[in-house]
Amino acid sequence: MITLARRWGSLAALLMVWEIAVVTRAVDPDFLPAVHTIAAALWDLVSAGEIWINLLASTYRALVGLAIGTAVGVAVGLLMATSRAANGFFGPLVAMTYSLPKASLVPLFILWFGIGDTTNMLTVFLATLLPVVVSTYHGVKAVPQVLVWSAQAMGTPRAQILRRILIPASLLSILTGMRIALGFSWVLTISAEMIAAKTGIGKLIFLYGENGSYAYMFAGILAIVAVAYAADRAMVWLMHAALHWHDSADLAGEH
Amino acid sequence: MDAAANGATWLGQAAWRAVKFLYPIALVILAWAVAAHAGWVRPLFLPSPQAVAEQFWPMLNGGEIVAPLFLSLYRAFGGLVIALVIGAAVGVAIARTRWMRWGVDPLVSVAFPAPKIAFMPIFILWFGIDSVSKVLLVAFTCVFPIIVATYHGATTVSRTIVWSAQAMGTSERELLRRVILPATLPYIFSGLRVTVPVALITAYTAEMVAGGGGLGSALMYAQRFFQTPSVFLYIILMLLSGVVLDQFMLAARSWLIPWQPEEDS
Amino acid sequence: MQGVSHIRVERLTKHYESREGRVLALALIDLAVDEGEFVVIVGPSGCGKSTLLYILGGFLRPDTGVVEVAGRPVTAPGVDRGVVFQEYALFPWLTVAENIAYGLSTTGTPKGERAAVVERFVRMIGLEGFENRYPRELSGGMKQRVAIARTLAYDPQILLLDEPLGALDAQTREVMQDELLRIWDATKKTVVMVTHDVNEAVYLAQRVLVMSRRPGRMIDEFRVQVDRRQGREAVMLSDEFNGIRNKVWLAVRRQAVAAAR
Repeated sequence: MITLARRWGSLAALLMVWEIAVVTRAVDPDFLPAVHTIAAALWDLVSAGEIWINLLASTYRALVGLAIGTAVGVAVGLLMATSRAANGFFGPLVAMTYSLPKASLVPLFILWFGIGDTTNMLTVFLATLLPVVVSTYHGVKAVPQVLVWSAQAMGTPRAQILRRILIPASLLSILTGMRIALGFSWVLTISAEMIAAKTGIGKLIFLYGENGSYAYMFAGILAIVAVAYAADRAMVWLMHAALHWHDSADLAGEH
Repeated sequence: MDAAANGATWLGQAAWRAVKFLYPIALVILAWAVAAHAGWVRPLFLPSPQAVAEQFWPMLNGGEIVAPLFLSLYRAFGGLVIALVIGAAVGVAIARTRWMRWGVDPLVSVAFPAPKIAFMPIFILWFGIDSVSKVLLVAFTCVFPIIVATYHGATTVSRTIVWSAQAMGTSERELLRRVILPATLPYIFSGLRVTVPVALITAYTAEMVAGGGGLGSALMYAQRFFQTPSVFLYIILMLLSGVVLDQFMLAARSWLIPWQPEEDS
Repeated sequence: MQGVSHIRVERLTKHYESREGRVLALALIDLAVDEGEFVVIVGPSGCGKSTLLYILGGFLRPDTGVVEVAGRPVTAPGVDRGVVFQEYALFPWLTVAENIAYGLSTTGTPKGERAAVVERFVRMIGLEGFENRYPRELSGGMKQRVAIARTLAYDPQILLLDEPLGALDAQTREVMQDELLRIWDATKKTVVMVTHDVNEAVYLAQRVLVMSRRPGRMIDEFRVQVDRRQGREAVMLSDEFNGIRNKVWLAVRRQAVAAAR
């Protein structure tokens, strides 16, 4: 009970203060809808089904882009860590494009592919690629030499070193990169939808804002925050499960 | 060996390093140029590198580069400073006091994985589409990683260092200033370095979505009128702004925290 | 095989790259180890003894010279030379049993037989009940035992030990030294061990080789003829042991002091 209070206490307190402030008109309800109004709006969206279609569209785009970005990212990261030539080629490209806001490519993609899933997923793909490449690369580079040497001394063929040694040993790093990429996937999907889209929660939020339906706008934001939070929790759970053997304190770090 | 020969080898080595670093980028540009000139794609979709480069001077003279760029940078920087001050303060506070940690932890836990760009309509509602809303959005987005980095740094300060200082008669107040803060500085800086691109990206994205000047708005404007070379140019400018700022951060780091050994990015 | 050393090194040199340029690590090393011998190499820190071991293991290539095992040149790591590193190098994602079984999987032991072999070695190192634990749950001494068991399980002819007891506390060290002797006695393997601890070297070895400071050369050799059946206390208090130990210690110390200047 105490732990529950500790975990959510300040949030609950925040919501209460918020509700009281709006209900007593200390804050203008036009600018900040009361908690109960937002809750009602959210309920309306959930039962009317409007939110599901859009949430699903956004989630689909984010996760597909993430999946492809992760797969390619791990492959490139592994390649860069094991081949000097690959590192020499991809390294500068990675360093350069790190600073590029991938959302800036959305207008270009709209020009090339029009408004729709392709633009969105391509943007997410590119955004999730880099953190996974970098974390995979660093993870593999950090594998202690003696682990590889031991495996070689015990007769592990070259082709198996990657799968049996390098990947398990760098798993924490890889999964941490994936977790960061997961966060990015939401940001880019929403950004792309707000810039131009036909469907999606980002678009929905934007529309409500333009129409002045602020309670619904807040509700939409709340919905995506909840989804992103749940996804992150799921990822953390996955990491704990996959890394139960890991002795690092990093595993306990939730942020 | 004489200085001239030494200088020549150093220059030669530096040149070689530059070549090694730039050749993939040069290859990409080359591939781009070939694709554009071979006519596989219409210039509307893929302008040649020259066409993009040719846009630079007219746009510069037309005031379409410097003003928007500095506006975006101002917003990113402003938000970052706010995030730094608040984030570092909160980070240290929650590292030292338990009840503050209980209070702040849930808020950070929920906010961290959330796509903060989704909150932008709220900021627009409250502050309009001008710089204020964007600066605050940048601050809102950047404060959390800085809190986490600072907290991490403050809690990693080795016990024995703190104990040594206390044994030498350091008061709690002094402890904070003379021991914990300097020891935490590298972590804050690391957090900051990672957050700088975030600040830039948030500023640009906010401008792309809501307008109100800046490089992001200019990009959208160019796209709306199908001025593809300008679109490319703005993208490259955004890219370069990030690279330059990162280099700047690296330089600032060795100046501000000279005692910390360099690690690779 | 009479007359042919199990391990033979002739005129070996090795450089490495550092910020100051090319540094000579090993200078014209000659070494011959017979089958079943327990040889220990001692020397001051940084003298290159670990580098020599890594070359024997096939992880590093010499610049010049001959390195042969059983008459054939060493070019790569191989299952004939088992290695135990100072850091244990256990695979943290595998349990104790899985770590020990690793070498069995790569050397083609049929799956059905592996469990029995693993169980035998688990019992040998005294870790019954810990088969399904992960390395992070083990103490330093336990990890070291698993590392040794893992290397022995697939029966390499040679054991290369790089300061295997370096990370252990003094008491555990002594226990493990006796453990090592026991295992060597039972398995009759050829052992080349590297250590900076002179007491340990003389206690374990049949022959102690002293290496100079960097660049490393073999400067001294001592045959240890001590009756180990007396037990540790008698051995360590005996005149024979201490006589040799003092000579070795002096030789190493002179190198360490010269290196420090």
